[in-house]
Amino acid sequence: MANIESEAIDFEPEEDDLMDEEVTAVDAADVSPRAGHPRLKSAIAGANGESAAQKKTKGRGFRDERDSDRQRRLSSRDFESLGSDGGHGPQRSIEGWIILVAGVHEEAQDDDLFNAFGDFGEIKNLHLNLDRRTGFVKGYALIEYEKKEDAQKAISAMNGAELLTQNVTVDWAFSSGPSSGGSHWRKNQRSGRSQRSRSPRRRY
Amino acid sequence: MAAEGEKEFYLRYYVGHKGKFGHEFLEFEFREDGKLRYANNSNYKNDTIIRKEVFLTPAVLKECKRIVSESEILKEDDNNWPEPDRVGKQELEIVMGNEHICFATSKIGSLVDVQSSNDPEGLRIFYYLVQDLKCLVFSLISLHFKIKPI
Repeated sequence: MANIESEAIDFEPEEDDLMDEEVTAVDAADVSPRAGHPRLKSAIAGANGESAAQKKTKGRGFRDERDSDRQRRLSSRDFESLGSDGGHGPQRSIEGWIILVAGVHEEAQDDDLFNAFGDFGEIKNLHLNLDRRTGFVKGYALIEYEKKEDAQKAISAMNGAELLTQNVTVDWAFSSGPSSGGSHWRKNQRSGRSQRSRSPRRRY
Repeated sequence: MAAEGEKEFYLRYYVGHKGKFGHEFLEFEFREDGKLRYANNSNYKNDTIIRKEVFLTPAVLKECKRIVSESEILKEDDNNWPEPDRVGKQELEIVMGNEHICFATSKIGSLVDVQSSNDPEGLRIFYYLVQDLKCLVFSLISLHFKIKPI
């Protein structure tokens, strides 16, 4: 353990390429999700004392107090994204529109998906991922259409439809902005546990 | 189970090590509001750091939660897992409802490492969950950005 910590110190300077500035005035889109972000440090602080943590915490990850390291990796603000309007509609991907099919039968094959979803437009990509333990389909598929209308048709026609004896749910995979579910949660967060905000300010 | 969509949720996975090529790591996180962040830093030969982010719809977040719930990882404990070492470290942090786990262990090369550990059942759950999550994230990132993760 001790050597891990010292090692972390050794390498600290190399991470200075990550953004290290305090957040000043940042666009709302960037700030708001942060507000609802679980406070990693505060959870640790909570477990240690004063503000009784409302969560059951478990794992040795909490004992590493040196998680400034951890915070800085994902705290950089220069994450690339495709341009979006920050709204609530679907987000275009670089070469098309991606939909998620959930509730896919574990024995489904690529062809079953192509047959069911190929009628709405040309499928440019299909990911039917497998459960790594069982080797069966994990339960979801990601499908790419070139045209938004085609993707929309697939969603409208197939959401709730039966595929291989199971009802599938079909929706867009990417969104142009944060979901409202998040803001609902943030509201609770703000009212419910204001005492947690005493922990060190996260840096972005 | 029914109220799953209402529960607080956060997930972060990290794997990396610090060696002669500096700090090389892969990390991703899912946030409650749908933001998926992916970072991959390799200093081997030429500096490459990839940092991507995109908002997921609630539908995708729900699928991610389902994968986590069904793994029952929250019932496990990393007490008897191999400690992170020189070879590397993995970290899995999940907030779900009123539970918050942050497990840390060494890199796992294969199931042989799992079998020979002091908690093969628990470590196997971790091992497969991590692979299933990576698989989901790589699909999302590669479809959206047309890059090949790792």
